[in-house]
Amino acid sequence: MEKKLSEMKYEEEGIVTDIEETLRKKVAGMGIRVGKRLKMITKQPVKGPVVVAVDEAITSLGLDVAEKIIVEMKS
Amino acid sequence: MNVLLMGHPNVGKSVFFNRLTGANVTESNYPGTTVDFTKGWMKIDGEDAELVDVPGTFSLDPKDKAEEVAVAMLHENKDAKVICVIDASKIERGVYLALEILEEGYPMVIALNMWDAAVDKNILIDINNLQRILGVPVVSTVAISGEGIKELTLKLKEAKPIKIEDIVKNAGGLT
Amino acid sequence: MKLTIDQRWDLIDKIAKQTVTFGEYRHTLKDAIGELTIKPFTGIPIAIAVMYAFWSIFSSFAGTLFTDGFMVKLFDGHFLPWMQDIFPGAGGWLYYIIVGDPLANNSFEALGVLTSGFFVAIGVVLPAIFIFYLMLALLEDMGYMPRLAVLIDTVLHRIGLHGYAIVPTILSLGCNVPGVAATRILETKKQRFIMMTLLAIFIPCGAQIGIMEEVIPDTMGWVLLYLITGYFIFGYILNKIVPGKSPEFLIDVPPYRKPMISNLSKKVWGRIVGFFKVALPFVLLGCGIVNVLYLVGFIDWVGNVFSPVFVLWFGVPEATAGPLIAAFLRKDLAVAQLSVIEMTPYQMISAVVLVSIYFPCVATFAMMIKEGVKEMLGALAVLFVVVFLYGGLIHLIGILLGVA
Ligand SMILES: Nc1nc2c(ncn2[C@@H]2O[C@H](COP(=O)(O)OP(=O)(O)OP(=O)(O)O)[C@@H](O)[C@H]2O)c(=O)[nH]1
Ligand SMILES: [Mg+2]
Repeated sequence: MEKKLSEMKYEEEGIVTDIEETLRKKVAGMGIRVGKRLKMITKQPVKGPVVVAVDEAITSLGLDVAEKIIVEMKS
Repeated sequence: MNVLLMGHPNVGKSVFFNRLTGANVTESNYPGTTVDFTKGWMKIDGEDAELVDVPGTFSLDPKDKAEEVAVAMLHENKDAKVICVIDASKIERGVYLALEILEEGYPMVIALNMWDAAVDKNILIDINNLQRILGVPVVSTVAISGEGIKELTLKLKEAKPIKIEDIVKNAGGLT
Repeated sequence: MKLTIDQRWDLIDKIAKQTVTFGEYRHTLKDAIGELTIKPFTGIPIAIAVMYAFWSIFSSFAGTLFTDGFMVKLFDGHFLPWMQDIFPGAGGWLYYIIVGDPLANNSFEALGVLTSGFFVAIGVVLPAIFIFYLMLALLEDMGYMPRLAVLIDTVLHRIGLHGYAIVPTILSLGCNVPGVAATRILETKKQRFIMMTLLAIFIPCGAQIGIMEEVIPDTMGWVLLYLITGYFIFGYILNKIVPGKSPEFLIDVPPYRKPMISNLSKKVWGRIVGFFKVALPFVLLGCGIVNVLYLVGFIDWVGNVFSPVFVLWFGVPEATAGPLIAAFLRKDLAVAQLSVIEMTPYQMISAVVLVSIYFPCVATFAMMIKEGVKEMLGALAVLFVVVFLYGGLIHLIGILLGVA
C-alpha cells in the first residue's frame, strides 16, 4: 500500500517510491531518494514537522515537504 | 597548497580545523554552527598550506546562505584540494557530496570521521575496497581524539583528480 | 563526466553494497532519550522544564549568588567608598565623570565611569555572561538545539520562519551579534530579513537580562512578556507584508553526545576574553560619554526637545534621554542608568522595553551592515515604526490599566 510520508503513523516503515520533481535535489543530499527505506519516528501536532529515520540519520521534514514524498508501506 | 575542509553540516570539520591550525573556531553539536569560512595555516611535511574551514553543505545545490558560502568557496578555489569529511555512520549520503565534488574535478582525500560512533553502531566499512573503487585516499578518523588526522594530511599529497568513469567501472557499472 | 541524481545514488548503492556492512545494533539509553525529547507528548514538557531550569539557574547564580552575595558587598562596601575617598577634586568635573556622585552609597547611583561602570560590567554582567554561556554551551554540545527546533516549528511558522529560527534566537539571547550571523542558516531572503529584524528589535542580550535581573527583579517579567509578545505580533505582520517565500523546514537531528569539558571551557573562556576586550571598554566608554553629555547640558537639551514624545507618547520621564543615548553603546549600561531615575514601576517597564527595542547596539549594527546594507536599512525602517507603535501601545495599555 502506498501513502504520503506525511500520512505515515508512528513506528511505521516504508520504502520511498516517488518524490516530487522540484524536491528531489533538495532532499537528495540528506539521503532521501527513491528506493530508500524510511521509518517514522514522530509527528508533531498542529501541522508540525515529521521526524524520520533514514539509515542512521534522523531527519525532520516540514509537513509540506513530507506531503510530496510517496512511500510504499512495509506490510 | 590550498586545502578546503568540506562536508555535511555537523560532521566535525571545525574540530579538524582547530586541530590542524591551532585556531579556535566554534564547535557545536548542531548543523549550521559554522556559517562563514575561516582561513588558517597548517604544516604538511614541513611545508605551509592554507586550510579553510568551510560551512557544512548537504550538496552543491545550496539551500540556504551558509551553504551558498560553502559552494562559492569551492568554486572560487579551482586549484584547491579538498578534505571531504564524512560521518562514517552516515556514509552513503556523505559519498553523495564527495561524488559531486569529484565530478567537478577536485583532488580529494576522504576522512571517515566519527569512526568511534560507527564502531559503536556496529557499522563495518571496508576502507581498502572503498579506496580502490573511488580512487582517492580514505582514512578513518576520530577528530575529537585526533586519531587519523596525521595520516590524513600526509595523504593529501597523493590526492589527484579522478575520472567518474573510472569510479563507475570500479564499482561494476551503472544499472 | 557529471552524473544525474539518480545515477549518483545508483552508483552509491553499488559502492555501499561492496564496502559497508551494518551489524546488529541494539538501541541504547541515549537513543531512548533522543526519542523521548523529540516526541511531542514527552518532548514538550521536557523542553519547558529545560527552559525553566535554564532560567532559574541563570537568575540564582548570576543574580542572587554572585552579584548580591558577593559583588554588591565588594563594590558598595569597599570599592565605592574607597574611590570616593581617594579620588581628588570632589565636586569637580573630572570627579563627576570618573567617580560620579560623592555621596552615593551604592554603585548604581554613583554613575561614575570607574564606579558604576566597573560595577555594572564586572559585578553584574560578567557573572551573567559566564553562567549563560556555560549553559548554552551545554545545550549546544549535547545536541539539544535541533530537537527544540523540531518542537517549536509549528509556532514559528506563524511568523514566516520555521523551527530552526530558534537557533539564531537563542544565540541572540547571549549576544545579538552571533545571532544575526546565524540567520544564514535560513533559506530565503524573506526569512533572513524577518529574523534579523526581530532579533535586532525584540531579543534582549544576556548582559541586558543580567542587569534587569539585578535592578528590576519584580517587574522584568513584564518587560520580557512585552518583548516576546512584540516578537510574535510584528513577526506575524512582517510575514504578511514582506514579499518572498518561507520554505519548509528540513533539518538533520544529530544524536546526543557527551559534552567535552575542554570544549565547554574553551567556549566560556572565549566569551570572557571577549567581555574584557569589547564589553568592558564599551561600558566604560558609554558611561564616560553620557557623563560628559550631561555636563555640557546636551542630555537635558535632548530631554527638553523631545519631552512631548517621551512624556505624552511613551509615558516615560524625559530623563530617559540619557540612558537611551547610552543604549546605543551598551544596553546593559542603559538599563543600569534607568534604574536610578525616579519613576513609577510601570514607567520603568516602559522605559526598559524602549531601551531594548529602540536601536540595536553598535556591535549588532555593524554585524547587520555586514549581512547586507539593504536589509539593514529595511530593518531600521521597521524598527522606527515598531518603536513608535509599540511604545505608544504599551503606554496606552498602562493608561487603560490605570498604572501609567
Ligand atoms: N564522537 C565523535 N564526535 C565528534 C567527532 N568529530 C566531531 N565530533 C563532534 O561532532 C560535533 C560537530 O563538530 P563540528 O566540528 O562543530 O562540525 P562541523 O562539521 O564544523 O559542523 P558545521 O559547522 O555545522 O558545518 C561536535 O559536537 C564534535 O564534538 C568524532 O570523531 N567522534
Ligand atoms: Mg563548523
